[in-house]
Amino acid sequence: MELSINQKVLVFLLLSIGLITLPHINHIPLAVFVAFNSLLVWRFICIWKVNLLPNKWLLFILMIGAISLLYQQHHTFLGRDAGTSLFVIALGLKLLEINQTRDIYLVNYLAFIVATSQFLYQQSILMAAYILFVTCVLLATLVLINSQKPATLAALKTAVIIVFQALPLSIVLFVLFPRVEAPRWMLFNQQNSARTGLSDSLEPGAISQLGLSDELVFRAKFNAELPSQNKLYWRGPVYSYTDGKRWTEGKVSKKNAVVSKVDYKGYKYQYTLMMEPQDKEWVFALDMPSSFPKALKQNSQYQIITTEKNNQRAEYKFTSYTQYNTGELSDKAYKENVQLPVEPSAKLKKLVTTLNGFDQSAEGFIQNVLMHFKTENFHYTLRPPLMGDKPIETFLLESRYGFCSHYATAFVYLMRIAGIPARVIGGYQGGEINQVGGFLEIRQANAHAWAEVWLKNKGWTRFDPTAAIAPERIEQDVNIDLQIATGIINFSPMFSNSGKALSWMKQARQMWSNIDYSWQRWVINYSTENQTKFLSSLGIHNIKSIVYWLMGSIGGISLVLAWIILKNKTTKLAEEVRLYQMFCKKMAKVGLDKEVAETAQNYCHRIQLQRPDLSEQVAKITMIYTRLHYEKEPLDKDIKLLKTELAGFKVNINPE
Amino acid sequence: MKEVLEGLSLKQRFKLSRFISGEKATIKSIKLNHRRVFILPTIRGLGFVCLIVLLLLIAFVYNNNLAYLLAFLLASIFFITILHSFKTLAGLIIKQSHSPSVFAGEAVGFEIVVDNPSNIERFNLKATLDLAVDFYLNAQEKKRIVLYSTSHKRGWHNMETVTLSSTYPFGLFRAWSPLKFVAKALVYPKPNTLEIPFPDNDDTQVKGFQNQQSKKGNEDYYGIKEYQQGDSIRHIHWKAFAKGIGLFSKEYSNDKSSELWLNYDQTPGYNKEEKLSQISRWIIDAEKAGLQYGVSLVGIKIQPNQGSRHYKKCMEALALF
Repeated sequence: MELSINQKVLVFLLLSIGLITLPHINHIPLAVFVAFNSLLVWRFICIWKVNLLPNKWLLFILMIGAISLLYQQHHTFLGRDAGTSLFVIALGLKLLEINQTRDIYLVNYLAFIVATSQFLYQQSILMAAYILFVTCVLLATLVLINSQKPATLAALKTAVIIVFQALPLSIVLFVLFPRVEAPRWMLFNQQNSARTGLSDSLEPGAISQLGLSDELVFRAKFNAELPSQNKLYWRGPVYSYTDGKRWTEGKVSKKNAVVSKVDYKGYKYQYTLMMEPQDKEWVFALDMPSSFPKALKQNSQYQIITTEKNNQRAEYKFTSYTQYNTGELSDKAYKENVQLPVEPSAKLKKLVTTLNGFDQSAEGFIQNVLMHFKTENFHYTLRPPLMGDKPIETFLLESRYGFCSHYATAFVYLMRIAGIPARVIGGYQGGEINQVGGFLEIRQANAHAWAEVWLKNKGWTRFDPTAAIAPERIEQDVNIDLQIATGIINFSPMFSNSGKALSWMKQARQMWSNIDYSWQRWVINYSTENQTKFLSSLGIHNIKSIVYWLMGSIGGISLVLAWIILKNKTTKLAEEVRLYQMFCKKMAKVGLDKEVAETAQNYCHRIQLQRPDLSEQVAKITMIYTRLHYEKEPLDKDIKLLKTELAGFKVNINPE
Repeated sequence: MKEVLEGLSLKQRFKLSRFISGEKATIKSIKLNHRRVFILPTIRGLGFVCLIVLLLLIAFVYNNNLAYLLAFLLASIFFITILHSFKTLAGLIIKQSHSPSVFAGEAVGFEIVVDNPSNIERFNLKATLDLAVDFYLNAQEKKRIVLYSTSHKRGWHNMETVTLSSTYPFGLFRAWSPLKFVAKALVYPKPNTLEIPFPDNDDTQVKGFQNQQSKKGNEDYYGIKEYQQGDSIRHIHWKAFAKGIGLFSKEYSNDKSSELWLNYDQTPGYNKEEKLSQISRWIIDAEKAGLQYGVSLVGIKIQPNQGSRHYKKCMEALALF
């Protein structure tokens, strides 16, 4: 059955398909995106020039071409990226072959699959809202096909209403539907695009690139008191090996997962970390964590490592201390942390000597070095000059312009020359407090490098040379907006101007950030584990009670929906019409139904002919009714009259 | 109304025929309610279910909560579409109207009236008898729908089950209601296509019949009388009508004398149907020519006359003979 498909429907369908595939511009290869859009434009033109549609042969050639394009781009048809491209291209080809309403349905279903594939790349609220909108448009095309009056807006309205009616039910399903994690063999390898972030090696200057990124790394919500800004050191990779230019993680200690006992002191901070997807297995805990979830491990350098796949958001509960004593240092560790690539140059040795590095206690030397940074002409900058082959020497003795990583590496280098065990720590410092949600947001711009020095009776102790040269970096929060805008380091005080002084833009951003946080936490991250936790808090413990709850809530919602959808929305009839209908009902009982097209007057005559006994009464009722119904200003007393007349109107089955 | 809605026994309730051919035939109006409306997914609806399953699979493999959410949303939409499907038909009042007579082989047009007493529009309604008729109803609208059904035999032609259906809103479900009305149309014998001259009436049967002249006989203008229902349209004095004087018929001198008797026994034809078919042809021709004609079937005799009422009477006799 060939059906001429309404042009309006086609335009609507093609537009909605254009909308669906649009965000894929970032996800699928450009060639595939261009190919799809050419097909779409072709089809669009064909709405008006039908003879330009391809015939079977051309379509076949196009299909072969598309398949080879896909293979050339992806070398496979499986997996997320290739699958997405495959569905997008299939959608484009199917568009050229719409002959029947059945084809429109197929296109529609394909479009839904493509819409779903968007979620494999992005799961933000905005994307969800966008897809919800597109869903409405797609459903509206179905409404258009299924109604004789093709009114686009009315169809869209119907679709939107139905989608919103469906929302409560889908939320219940979302919450209660048992989540089972897919077995490993079913998971396709996801080639994630490289993310910015700290890397496993540190070169002075590397972190400064992160200073311009406002990408969120993680959020932290403290159970009680927030640590002061200068205590917010989120510890990451420990760089203990250097070749003079580059610093990498120590090779020996990485395998050794036995942690020496730590003596914790001071305030106990309890908090929840919510990590954004990462490339690395690092989890950035506050300073020295004392307890953490089982899924995590702590290596010998007290760094927290995850064993799970971490390309998804994850939530962890931590307890940390900012005062601690790590105790003795093993010989092996000692050697590792005084390692130097070459015999230090004479110039550097001279510097250490002038700072009393060889003849004073470690603490004294440290103070001297920090003092040196402070009093000599050192500068803190996001854009340090290039340092060449001997970056540390160049930085310390010549340029004196550097970012946190320069100061940290130079500091550690000087310590090692003096024979004091020291290492560079990578991580994040500070974080912006979200006033709305009461949590900290740590972005890439918060990336930081500092030093740890092993001191007798104190263990590993943190020293931040950046604090010496630019104390505001530590005391205040990085003003990311301004920093990105100007490319110059900017700080904004963290607590001093909370509340009123916040600009409305910042407030709006925080509000949004808070919504996003809840979204991540409750929607995106609603995993098997979270579900079990949440459901058991409701008293649902096993699959049987989940099924009962599902049935119960679906039943309940269906009842409410049925009531909303099916309730009789007839407007209140005018009083006289209601009364007249009562009269008609009475007559119908004796077999004198009012005909469909019969006027009240004709009906009256017919009754009078068949039931002369009622003639007078019927005539009177009809007269009052007509007067009430058709006159511009009906009289109130007529209603009363009609009522009394009807009350006295009795019809016997047999005429008297 | 009341009787129609009275309870069914359990056995009747689950009878398969109720879903296809409807309940007992009625002459009263039928209001569609939960008992009358049936809903099942269409092929496209099943396709939609496959889509949901595929989306769930994607969500499962990629452990993607938003994909789950979209799949659940579509599933919920699928589910509540059932209610909307029901809403498209519920509350409609259907009544059969008149059904004019036709000749065998022609399509009988049964008229039904579909009344939408509610304030919601009803899109995409489809009434099916032999052929489907698509229509829609605005709020508070009544529409007359003529459903054609081909007639094969003369005699009474009963209206089969009418199916009122709709796939609104998404085409995922089809709601339908089989309606059976006591409605019948009379089917006249199919007129013979051969040109056979009117029969020569012998004296015993016919008072007087001028063979050749009779055909021109009506040209002997005789006078004017006031128009009466049943007078041939050809005899109307149109000039007078145009002047606004009123409706008059011309009378012809030999109207009463030239009477044609159509006798079943003397009609050529090998069997009953062929004979009736020939008589049917003659009646049409005679009525056209404005002759006075009478029909004599075995046991039935209709005195010569003319006009639409007489024509109808003769045809009815033929149809039911």
